[in-house]
Amino acid sequence: MPVDLPALVVAHDAVNPDHFLLTLEAPPIARRARPGQFVMLQARAGHEPLLRRPMSVCRVPAGRRGRIDILYKVVGPGTRYLSQQRPGTRLATLGPLGNGFPPPARGRRPVLVAGGIGIAIFPFLADVLRRRGARPILLFGARRRRDLVGLDLFRARRVPIALATEDGSAGARGFVTRLLEPLLDGGAARRRARDASPPEVYACGPTPMLRAVGDLAVRAGVPCHLALESHMPCGIGVCLGCVVRCPGDAAGPIYRRVCTEGPVFDAGTVLP
Amino acid sequence: VTARRPVDLSVTLGPLRLANPVVAASGTFGYGTELLPYLRLADLGGFVTKGLSLRPRRGNAPPRTCETAAGMLNAIGLANVGVEAFLAEKLPALRGCGTAVIANVFGETRGEYVAVARRLNGADGLHALELNLSCPNTEKGGIAFGVSPPIIRDVVAAVRRAAPDLPLIVKLTPNITDIAAAARAARDGGADILSLVNTFLGMAVDLATRRPVLDNVVGGLSGPAIKPLALYMVHRVHREVALPIMGMGGISGTEDALEFLLAGSTAVQVGTANFFDPRATVTIAAGIAAWCRREGVARVRDLVGALRVPEGPPPGPCAG
Repeated sequence: MPVDLPALVVAHDAVNPDHFLLTLEAPPIARRARPGQFVMLQARAGHEPLLRRPMSVCRVPAGRRGRIDILYKVVGPGTRYLSQQRPGTRLATLGPLGNGFPPPARGRRPVLVAGGIGIAIFPFLADVLRRRGARPILLFGARRRRDLVGLDLFRARRVPIALATEDGSAGARGFVTRLLEPLLDGGAARRRARDASPPEVYACGPTPMLRAVGDLAVRAGVPCHLALESHMPCGIGVCLGCVVRCPGDAAGPIYRRVCTEGPVFDAGTVLP
Repeated sequence: VTARRPVDLSVTLGPLRLANPVVAASGTFGYGTELLPYLRLADLGGFVTKGLSLRPRRGNAPPRTCETAAGMLNAIGLANVGVEAFLAEKLPALRGCGTAVIANVFGETRGEYVAVARRLNGADGLHALELNLSCPNTEKGGIAFGVSPPIIRDVVAAVRRAAPDLPLIVKLTPNITDIAAAARAARDGGADILSLVNTFLGMAVDLATRRPVLDNVVGGLSGPAIKPLALYMVHRVHREVALPIMGMGGISGTEDALEFLLAGSTAVQVGTANFFDPRATVTIAAGIAAWCRREGVARVRDLVGALRVPEGPPPGPCAG
């Protein structure tokens, strides 16, 4: 069950001018969280901004029990205010929320596909997968080199990484799907990589990227889990504001709540 | 040091008695059980369910919500499980929850209001109905029921007959020239209690795309931004219409709730605050008790309408 507590800011570091890594002391949340879940974080002065912000649990650092890391990008007044909170302050933190990622099917190799700040959801997943003996690989795409944040969190776990940037400033030029396609194409690239295990895709990033990744995976018959982002007023399933469109019937589409029925949905079951 | 005497928090609104004056507003509290990880329902005066229609509704396409200055817009599209699923799946889980369970009801036609109310009348574990009059009336070109006093009186009277055994709360829309006229129409139709106000119509624009933010274009504004508007309407209706009031509009803390009590609300509803603080209702209920103890108020009902207004006629419409 989720809890709401005033979590102590124990560290808060700028990764670059607009990306931050926040460490909160929140033992009940750290204990309960699973990869792919999120917290609702209150960051405001007075009534501005009014609503909490949903943030993926980026990592539950081993050896420092009771802490959770949050990796985020400053995109508006809420995250800007958050970025100014120094160690020693407390932030109302509600979580863990949402369904989280399912484990990969036996024999499948997890392929983590991140776009931009969507990377924030994956260090925790990579940690848990490694602990369970899986060998995840990371495909990470962003607009430009400086948006490729958090890579050291994966290198420490010896997760192989392939990069793509839209401007070509790091890795392959283009979208992250360029890195994914060869891994889905029936095995030629996998044979070259001397890895016979078929992939299982875990994706988080901007909606157009998730659409493209989901389509590729469905077409290739590869299981694929999409972690969706949404404007989320409550996070606990009561406001019905964060819904995603899903295939329905003759009467039209149905809508599911990203907060409680997600944020992770199988590709093909949502029309984000 | 003063002795800690218990404060009597109970309030009575016509036929409806509440253990305390704090009620969770419709559309912000699900069907009640969603909040169980965060609070005990018995610590609330009551809660109002998501609006119920005759058949389930899927609601509007996203984006459905948009944050605004000290507030938010919503255009959920009245998504709900429908009255039958509510009776079969939601209400049984609430029996013995220790708080007043109030079913919010709406329809697109007078007949639908009546059918939902009739189905709920006598339901085990249900304590009152709240009529949402902000729904578009498809038989009258989509104009909301609640903006026409004759239609308000007619639909309230029809529901009154269809559900004679339940206290009837009528929730007023503020999107009307004269809310006191709407309140009188609800009274004349047989309402026991008025709840006000529902959300104010508004919109937001995305400059980058030059499109409305909400897929529905128009939404309802709620949150602290509307509190002064709502407080005035509660004050106005309290002066002019002799029915108990559940006031709401931007209540986020204890002081807000106390202000509504003084302005003439016998109970208050807390809505949008549940989104950013799932314990907002019970925190406010405890805060009211603490304030009363501190101020030497023995019974919270003594605060209702106790606003010290200047002598003379009520305030005119011109504030400039």
